[in-house]
Amino acid sequence: MIRVKKLKTVVIASLALFISSCGVNSVVVQGSYPSPNIRQIPLAVGVYYGDELRNFSYTEYSETGKEEYKVDSGLTHIQLFGSVLPAMFARVVVLDELSDATSAGVDAVFAPSIEEFQLALPQKTRLDAYEVWVKYNMRLLAPDGGYIADWVVTSYGKTPTESMRSVESGINDATVGALRDLASNFSLSFGSVPEVRDWLASKQ
Amino acid sequence: MTTDNSRKIKRIRGALLQATGALAIIFTLGACTTTTVDEFRQGATGIESHESIVILGRRQGSTYETREEFVNCVGQRVSRGAAGIRVIPEKEFIDSLFPWFEPRTAPLRTADLQVLMEEPLVSQKIADYGIRYIVWVDGQTETSNRMGSISCAVGPGGGGCFGFGSWEDDSNFDARVWDVSSFASVGTISTDATGQSYLPAVVVPIPLIARVEANACNSLAVQLQQFVNGD
Repeated sequence: MIRVKKLKTVVIASLALFISSCGVNSVVVQGSYPSPNIRQIPLAVGVYYGDELRNFSYTEYSETGKEEYKVDSGLTHIQLFGSVLPAMFARVVVLDELSDATSAGVDAVFAPSIEEFQLALPQKTRLDAYEVWVKYNMRLLAPDGGYIADWVVTSYGKTPTESMRSVESGINDATVGALRDLASNFSLSFGSVPEVRDWLASKQ
Repeated sequence: MTTDNSRKIKRIRGALLQATGALAIIFTLGACTTTTVDEFRQGATGIESHESIVILGRRQGSTYETREEFVNCVGQRVSRGAAGIRVIPEKEFIDSLFPWFEPRTAPLRTADLQVLMEEPLVSQKIADYGIRYIVWVDGQTETSNRMGSISCAVGPGGGGCFGFGSWEDDSNFDARVWDVSSFASVGTISTDATGQSYLPAVVVPIPLIARVEANACNSLAVQLQQFVNGD
């Protein structure tokens, strides 16, 4: 009786191990982002994170078409903007709905979204690095929902392969590198976008 | 009969251990590193006790990026000893001056640094750290000439490996020194270290690794310390 029980336990454990080894590897991107040292714009902005950004997930498929890696980066994007925007603007209000902008008393609403996410793994590229490219669509809206600006920002991050580094860690670090690149590019080029520049001039 | 067999096994084991020991001695002598350091001085240097330097890795290249571990190694060695210099850790500096020293935004020439220093927030942070020199380290370690093979087997009576492997490492690093007070490049130190590593395996694999990158780090750090101190 005891032998049957032991056998059952071993079979169940082996099955669990087999199933887990066949499943998709999940990477929830985690990173810390410093606050930018830039001149602050003396305006109040609302920020709206759509569900698509909040729950953004990218799936990398193997050459045979199987799901290989699932990269969840929605939360870390929100964390990044939470660090960057307060350094850029005098007041930042996170909006649950775009329609809340007027009551929040903000000068504009910023709504970022991810258009494209690409991942390059060393086992596929034969390069000694993990690489991540992200294409964003940035929208700046008036509190009533009117158009102010709409522009594209791209970011790139890479991290070298190392003997003791796991694939998950490589993907995480390359994504964090891409997000830092986004933060630096976005914060430094914000005032140079023609429509944004005109809007800033109108507010002075 | 059993006693004879066990004696034979003991003899074989002894011979194998002796062979392994001999190989280890031979290849320890062989696993040496050759290091060359060049210095090119463009201006006078010197540093006060209240001043500091920051050593940063170049990460703009598409094919490689300077490893953070190597940059930290140079920084730690430069700050050691009686002639040690205060070195601001790379990560702390880059985060503190975010987003101005990211791969996409970092100054590539001294003229870019001059433009960057016109930004009050940047010049204030650099002044707060007391930074006199910015040192840009650029380079990598490449492995080539991999040869040999090792096979391992496990049986009911035990296991073991047999074979031989070897490879060559080549570390090539440059350190460009920028004087923050004059926005000028004051010199470049280059180091090139090469070494052959061996992995003989007679029952047990014995790695005889040439410490190429560590030697490159040491040589570069010693020369950099002397250079910045103006010796």
